[in-house]
Amino acid sequence: MRNRRPLLAPAILSLALLQMLPAAAQAGDSEFHSLVERMSDYYQKRPMRFMGWMNFFANRFTPGGVSNFQMAIFDGVEASPTHPSEDFESSLASLVGPSYQPFVNVHNVRSGEWTCIYTRESGKERIEMLIISIDASDAVLMKMLLKPEAMREWVDDPLERGRDARRGAQEAQHSQP
Amino acid sequence: MNARHKIIRTTGLAAFFGAMLLGASGLPAFGQNPRLDIKNLEALSKKASEVVDVNLDGPLLKLASKFMTHEDDREALQIIKNLKGVYVKSFTFEKPGDYSPADVEAIRSQLQPPAWSRIVSARSKRDGENAEIYLMTAADGGNVLGMAVICAEPKELTVVNLVGPVDIDKLSQLEGKMGIPRLGEHGDESDQKPGGHRAKP
Repeated sequence: MRNRRPLLAPAILSLALLQMLPAAAQAGDSEFHSLVERMSDYYQKRPMRFMGWMNFFANRFTPGGVSNFQMAIFDGVEASPTHPSEDFESSLASLVGPSYQPFVNVHNVRSGEWTCIYTRESGKERIEMLIISIDASDAVLMKMLLKPEAMREWVDDPLERGRDARRGAQEAQHSQP
Repeated sequence: MNARHKIIRTTGLAAFFGAMLLGASGLPAFGQNPRLDIKNLEALSKKASEVVDVNLDGPLLKLASKFMTHEDDREALQIIKNLKGVYVKSFTFEKPGDYSPADVEAIRSQLQPPAWSRIVSARSKRDGENAEIYLMTAADGGNVLGMAVICAEPKELTVVNLVGPVDIDKLSQLEGKMGIPRLGEHGDESDQKPGGHRAKP
């Protein structure tokens, strides 16, 4: 019994911490949280569950220069591929707010998928990037912090990075159960 | 002085000062804008399989220049510092012939004299690629106020619009950056007019 106690306490503590992690990851950025709420209102859908866990693990595997990765997936949204582009872009812009500047838009005409990328300065030479990718049935919201080296890649080739973001969002959607 | 004379005099003075202001500010002739309307090229958008828009202006452009710290970015940085905006619209098509030269007219129609002039037109018969560069200069023919590049390939059409002063000789420094295609890859035939001479569009 004397030998078990030292093992039990850290185990309980670890378990408690693990339980708290998703909530911490979700609540870590209140602005992201309120954006998720606004998207929830817009689509009349709640984001998929367990995103806190996913964000926690995703942050361990983000590419160099990317940090504070957060993501929310809205499954089964009614996003028609026949959105009039101007209306759609302006409704997204009002959703993300005026502090974000539109940077790259990728529209796949055949599938009706839109990927809109917004940025803003975040002090200490960091850029906050917001990626919203929407297809006929799902919407993905991603937010991350970019260091100069990561932003440089975007400035060098925004077209290809925008396509990468679209593919990344697609993979995130398809990897969901 | 009666009321009629007063109105004529006021209007005349306003017109005089207005004309002076226009002349002094180096505004483009006939109200043409260095910023092209490339946001909605509906006819092309409907035919394309993919449309990509890039907007780099205002604070984002300033921010982008902060990140260009490499040694080989130095000259590009000099250009970007003076720019007000970089706008790129790229259309990808599923197969050659999905868009016609007439579709490009929606862009070309905005690049008309006297403000805009085509300074380079290069065509590769082998690859079916075509690149055109247009410059917008101030009404007095002095400062460059903007630039447009139309880069047409069989399955891809890219329109680049630089707003602000651009040194044409240093344009190559921006090739391959910010979505601007590499123009050196086009080059079987060209009617290049260096030194700002105006070519008939």
